[in-house]
Amino acid sequence: MNRIGEAILASGRKLPYVITDNPPRGGMKYTYFAPDKSYVVQFFNDPSKVDANMRRRIEAIISKYNPTIPESRGGALGTDEKRAAYFEKRFCWPTDIVVSPEFGLVSPSYPSDFFFGDGASDYLDLKGKDKKSNWFTSRNRRFLNKTELGDFRSMLQMSLLLTRSIRRLHQAGLAHSDLSNNNVLIDPRSGNCVVIDIDSLVVPGIFPPEVAGTRGYIAPEVLATMELDRNDPRRKIPGSETDLHALAVLIYEYLLLRHPLIGPKIFSTESAEKDDFLALGPKALFIEDPNDRSNRPENLDVTISDLGSDLESLFLRSFVDGLHAPELRPTAMEWERGLIKAWDMLHRCENPDCDHKWFIMHDVKNPVCPFCGTRVKSDILQLDICAQPRGKKGQWRKHSTLIAENNTPLFKWHTRTDVFPDEKADTGLEAYICSHEKAWYLINSHAEGLISPMGSPVPAGKAIRLTNGTVFRACREENGSLIKVSIIKGMK
Amino acid sequence: MSDFSRRLPVYLLLDVSGSMAGDPIEAVRHGVKALISELRSDPQALETAYLSVITFNSAARQVCPLTELMLFREPVLTAGGPTALGAALRLLTDCIKTEVRKSTETQKGDWKPLVFILTDGIPTDEWREAAAMLKSTKPANIIACAAGSCADTSVLKEITDSVLLMNNLSAGDLAQFFAWVSSSVKLSSKSLDAKPGAGIELPPPPQGFVIVP
Repeated sequence: MNRIGEAILASGRKLPYVITDNPPRGGMKYTYFAPDKSYVVQFFNDPSKVDANMRRRIEAIISKYNPTIPESRGGALGTDEKRAAYFEKRFCWPTDIVVSPEFGLVSPSYPSDFFFGDGASDYLDLKGKDKKSNWFTSRNRRFLNKTELGDFRSMLQMSLLLTRSIRRLHQAGLAHSDLSNNNVLIDPRSGNCVVIDIDSLVVPGIFPPEVAGTRGYIAPEVLATMELDRNDPRRKIPGSETDLHALAVLIYEYLLLRHPLIGPKIFSTESAEKDDFLALGPKALFIEDPNDRSNRPENLDVTISDLGSDLESLFLRSFVDGLHAPELRPTAMEWERGLIKAWDMLHRCENPDCDHKWFIMHDVKNPVCPFCGTRVKSDILQLDICAQPRGKKGQWRKHSTLIAENNTPLFKWHTRTDVFPDEKADTGLEAYICSHEKAWYLINSHAEGLISPMGSPVPAGKAIRLTNGTVFRACREENGSLIKVSIIKGMK
Repeated sequence: MSDFSRRLPVYLLLDVSGSMAGDPIEAVRHGVKALISELRSDPQALETAYLSVITFNSAARQVCPLTELMLFREPVLTAGGPTALGAALRLLTDCIKTEVRKSTETQKGDWKPLVFILTDGIPTDEWREAAAMLKSTKPANIIACAAGSCADTSVLKEITDSVLLMNNLSAGDLAQFFAWVSSSVKLSSKSLDAKPGAGIELPPPPQGFVIVP
């Protein structure tokens, strides 16, 4: 029954696609697949909304704002091969404009990791369906097999990757404007995610798109002023600040598997629609608001305080201070830093049956997995990474904490304080932790300038013995860090 | 995981009168089956949509009470008899009253129900009062589909403003109708947002279907 259509691109090139009766349809577009599924062709639900402005916007998105192709090949400014290759995996960025049979887009298909395969569920036939976030963060989770669910570490990794992608957009002055569970596909098994539906991006200097948004991810101020006329100055439209609301919602969902605003509080008894409008719009209230507990569910076992002070403070700034004050929301860059710090504090749960497998070791004095309640019995190795504030030689201030175990790697962003682990960072191994006959060692792999606690150079292949109170320079240069070691005795 | 999610009640009112016997009823059966499988594979629909089936011929019967998708069992459909649309509308009104949760001080109410009516004939019982009641009180967003040349769209227009006309009662058209119902439910469970009181958004009807003005 399926027919083959032919899309003519702006470049004149022709691409075939398979016309199906009920193509997958989102709020804005519907999608047809290539015969070999290597790309998709998308058309707009309402072709009358396609105007010169939209064409201009999409042309800019495909070319000069495109972070997935290097600048040398027409992509975004400052994008080299390495960064382009990195972001190509993180975005499903449109590649071409279709001019015939009508205006549309060509985008690459997403990798097979983002489609369910065989054995994803014993209850549902999910093979070939895309992995929208809410399969994993809603009650639907119970229908998936455990092999699909990943663990806390993979959810944290996806949070970081997504944040980095959004930071990249914002850095270029772009905003996604419709970030939601539908527009980020996730694969908790591998900890990967990909941002899709790039065509509704807000592009600097071009009139923004009209985006409906997705329930649960629309920023409260956008929902609250939706009824106002488009030219009314009080009307709030999607942009980077509203992305930051949606980003915080997604991170909260990934890490705690629930929505931050949907709680038990009844806002209106007039109708479900009215209640929902208030709950997500003008009256939105964080379920973990420390000052107003009226929307707090009864049995919140794991809360933001279990995620360590960095993430806790970011969530409070997003959902308490910044919920109705967009300018107070943490930026994507701040989220990226907070998530990196949390990543370094991950610790393996000692309960082999713990579903989450990892947690953030934010309190070594009371080392308990918040998910299953299991107490850590073995010794904990903590490395405090300290930096010298500019112009204050000899003074060391704690920069971050690394909770280590056997084989924990140290990278440039641990040995130096002027390196940030973003998409440009050198991911070569500098050193690693080794546990041998009840003693801890730091083995130098490639670190240059590693100094022993006694002040002598430690060349590659040599080790430093780590005991409680050991202090050493990870790199002798000015921007090299100083590491203070603590070993917290366990019960074993 | 949120236990505070609202339900989207979906009612299918299916004509199982004599004229539906044979291929058409077989196509409806397939359609319901495909609808369930489609909705189960959409995470939002799976979480939100609850489904009920009401059939009508000489009388109206709720063959499936409002049930979550995972527990839904396909009804046994057999065609024969007249077209008691009026009875079906009255039963729908009762079901909405008893099954759909209202918003109260202590309970999150359900979303406004979505109702799809499929009929291929002219009602044989008293239907006007029930239709007028539905149209004026609007307890649900109702979409009525007149299937084939014998259906009377003016009757359906008295129930709801959203009326579709399917030109013939072929298996292909019926399959398309159910696929469209599934897209509509999926789209509604996604965009259940915002503007209280605003009309619902539905995907464009399949090819060959006409929106009755």
